[in-house]
Amino acid sequence: MKEKILQTLQDLRQYALSKNYEVTLSYHEEDSYLMRFANSAISLNTNEHLIRLEITAYQDKKRASYELITDLNKLDEMKAGIDTAADMVQYAQPLNYQPTIPIYEASYEDDSAFDINLAEMSSEDKLEFINQAVDGLETDKIKLSGIFSSGANTFALINTRSPHTLYFKSSDAQITLVLAHETLKWEVTAEQSAWNKSNLEAENLHNELAYLIDRYENDQPQQLPLGTYDVVFGPAATAEMISFMNWIAFDGGLMKRGFSFMKEEQIGEKTLSTQFTLSDDAAHLDTFPFKRDLMGLERDKTQLFKEGVFKGFIWSQDDADEFNQIATGHTVPHKSLVVEPGNMEINIIQELASKPRDKDILYVPFLHYMNIVNPSKGIVTGSSRFGALLLKKDGSIIVPYNVRLTHSLLDIFGDKIAWLSNERVAYNVSNSYGARNPTAIIVPKFMKVNDLEISHSNDSY
Amino acid sequence: MRDNLKQQIERLKAQNATYVDVRWYPYEETNYLLMWNGNLKSTVAAKESGIGVRVLYQGAWGFSASSDLSNLSAVFDKAFENAKAAAERVTFPVRLAEKDSIVARFDSPVLSNPFDISLEEKVSFLRDLDAKLNQTNVFQRQSDLNFVRKQIIFLDSEGSEIEKNIQEVFSSIAVTGLDEEGNMHDRKFILPRQGSSRGWESIDRDLFNENADRIVKELNQMLKADQCPKDDRSVILLPGIMYLQTHETIGHALELDRILGYELAYAGGSFVTLDDFGTLRYGSEKLTARADATLINSPGSFGFDDDGVEAQNNLLIDKGILVGAITGRQMVEEANAKAKREIFSGSSGANRATAFYRVPIERMTNINIDPGSDGTLEDIIKNTEKGIVLDGDRSWSIGSNREQFHFGTEMGWLVEDGEITDVVKNPTYRGSTVKFWNSLTAVGDESTWRVHFVDNCGKGQPNQIMQLGHGIPVCRFDNVRIGE
Ligand SMILES: [Zn+2]
Repeated sequence: MKEKILQTLQDLRQYALSKNYEVTLSYHEEDSYLMRFANSAISLNTNEHLIRLEITAYQDKKRASYELITDLNKLDEMKAGIDTAADMVQYAQPLNYQPTIPIYEASYEDDSAFDINLAEMSSEDKLEFINQAVDGLETDKIKLSGIFSSGANTFALINTRSPHTLYFKSSDAQITLVLAHETLKWEVTAEQSAWNKSNLEAENLHNELAYLIDRYENDQPQQLPLGTYDVVFGPAATAEMISFMNWIAFDGGLMKRGFSFMKEEQIGEKTLSTQFTLSDDAAHLDTFPFKRDLMGLERDKTQLFKEGVFKGFIWSQDDADEFNQIATGHTVPHKSLVVEPGNMEINIIQELASKPRDKDILYVPFLHYMNIVNPSKGIVTGSSRFGALLLKKDGSIIVPYNVRLTHSLLDIFGDKIAWLSNERVAYNVSNSYGARNPTAIIVPKFMKVNDLEISHSNDSY
Repeated sequence: MRDNLKQQIERLKAQNATYVDVRWYPYEETNYLLMWNGNLKSTVAAKESGIGVRVLYQGAWGFSASSDLSNLSAVFDKAFENAKAAAERVTFPVRLAEKDSIVARFDSPVLSNPFDISLEEKVSFLRDLDAKLNQTNVFQRQSDLNFVRKQIIFLDSEGSEIEKNIQEVFSSIAVTGLDEEGNMHDRKFILPRQGSSRGWESIDRDLFNENADRIVKELNQMLKADQCPKDDRSVILLPGIMYLQTHETIGHALELDRILGYELAYAGGSFVTLDDFGTLRYGSEKLTARADATLINSPGSFGFDDDGVEAQNNLLIDKGILVGAITGRQMVEEANAKAKREIFSGSSGANRATAFYRVPIERMTNINIDPGSDGTLEDIIKNTEKGIVLDGDRSWSIGSNREQFHFGTEMGWLVEDGEITDVVKNPTYRGSTVKFWNSLTAVGDESTWRVHFVDNCGKGQPNQIMQLGHGIPVCRFDNVRIGE
């Protein structure tokens, strides 16, 4: 299959050259499977096999793209697409900068995060995995929802500047299990991300769900009083906040457009907690990494924040071209964001709950529907969801109704950080909008942040 | 091709599939242009075609999609296999509400086809607009054009055969500026419904020029404005935020699949229960809301949904009382059975898929609020003692059961004793859904009613982005917390 893809790209390149076109070609193939659960049943079992070809034509400072969903047998359709892009570019308006077309100096292939056993896992195996993970936990009232999403993703690129190609292939799985009470409406969750089948562990999911259900079944729910709490975030919540940083903190192009809370003059300054170190590191297979970017640049580890010090902005090629910067290897469908671990030996919810404490702790595993209230100040808002707990200082546990947190990321990742777990987990943040783009962020299992105010407290789940 | 598809449907029926349908997209084409600070950043055309097959077997759904039409049997077989695997875990076997088998056709109303307009003309439109937006204190300026056309052939095992030719037009302009402290503020204009057709004729240069001047002027007012106060007062929502209020706290909350727990793994549930239909006082008597897929010229109007059910105009909330939901064929059967009463007499025709490769789910059509009898915007302001007029969506966040929300808006105008006093920046408001709608004390008349288009509503797994409309008047709500 790889040979056929690369040969097709070579054929298309030859076609473009024969017509004196300047083009880049990007091939994306997804083989996607999703088993969805609701009300303890499989509510949908679906698969899509889609091949997308994106053709960008250049003419000096002009650029135009034509994208098609196609298949490898339709060479004529793809050639016609190249003609269309080449026709469109004549009527585009010149950019006020010169867009870079990469020159790949050698061909590059990476399928190190591809596992055929995961990519081709059968419906039966997935169902068995799910059945193990929720074994004995469903009742007449407590119903399973969730997904088992898995698939394979292939990218291949070529352009008219050189005959060399880039080729990436990975496999991925995102498993989300939710057990929700039909009438009381509480919901608890456990999730897993994997790039190979042997990483799948139903038992961990089962343990986490069993513990949370026990709490939610047996402890009295309560509307929390408004005020300030010491909060422990679970990996889903931390990863969600890091993905907002990915957007409004260190992206050079967005900073230049005013959509960032970090400023150029802050490079080299300590702006966050000394306990906080964040990098983009394609060495982690758990992040479904691109070890080269789509311009062919090697993706060495980039430090974004080191012990709280802001190390600088990253530049995609187009932003670098526009703003006169040097591209940093970040022209990628997704980055490989990695938060360094801390030294607290608390890595599962039971350990957190049983650890003696001198103050109440609000455990927020998940932040639902986060959004940016003020990008210049880094203020985001979101509601707790999926199994929050109030761990009282006397050792008892209360299950709280959901609460809203509205805070600046500068605050949350600033000096209020009390500790980070010494173990980490890859949290899958793939959103399945449009083309498959599996993405995971590696975060400490827990992060404790002191003195955070809750701005709204629900009176029901 | 149609005959081949019909044969495939018959083949699966003969193998004991309960129901089979196929959506064949001979083509779906888009054309998107984005101008940003004078740079034509995106000049994109796209084309796709393919089929999506849905099979019901022993109460469970299987779906499969492919762009490769050279082996139709393989796609149908895969969908059937997926249904058989899903049938291993069934708790409430899927039943489909009765419908008529329909042979019909729907065409979006278009006078001037945007795909016949040259790229040069489209670029020239954006270039002129960009120049118009390039004024004092405008830091970033954006303008875009987005056209879609698609042909969909729907065939099912109950004898329906529907052809749809859908066209969409979306366009917007936006400006941002930095205040003294370097904080960003923005103002935008999204093309609302213009007249009764949705072709290139919607792109009215005068309308865009007028609004370009307005948003730049308002941005400049905002850059000098004070911070929005934090207090409790009446909020008067203009269509640019009223649409979002309706979308998030009526639209999504009344999708029947959410109510029945089908979105708990992702988007969330709803505070609404089946017992609430016919009794819940959702809002004040001034609130009448409907799902109207028959409205001419809107992305929420599509003739027939992806169950093959004809578009309808249904009440959701009647003078404050909850009476209806956004439904497809499957969910109404399950809801009636679980409620042990007939809440719904049939599908409301709102099962929609965003592409050939996605499965249909309950989606908003045009979720509208009827105009009221409280006069014009000026009348409402005049009758407000202490309030704030809000416009423009900036951020939205809402609880997973749609019970409480926090919305940031672009711009606010304080109202004291019936008059606008000051512009304020960073206005936000929050509330609890039912309490909020019950505090609705004024609904503007027809002169305040606009149809706002939404082109980015996300739901479902795999995720689907859907296009729809909201026809909304200006509304006032009392005792609302602002400025947090
Ligand atoms: Zn939506």
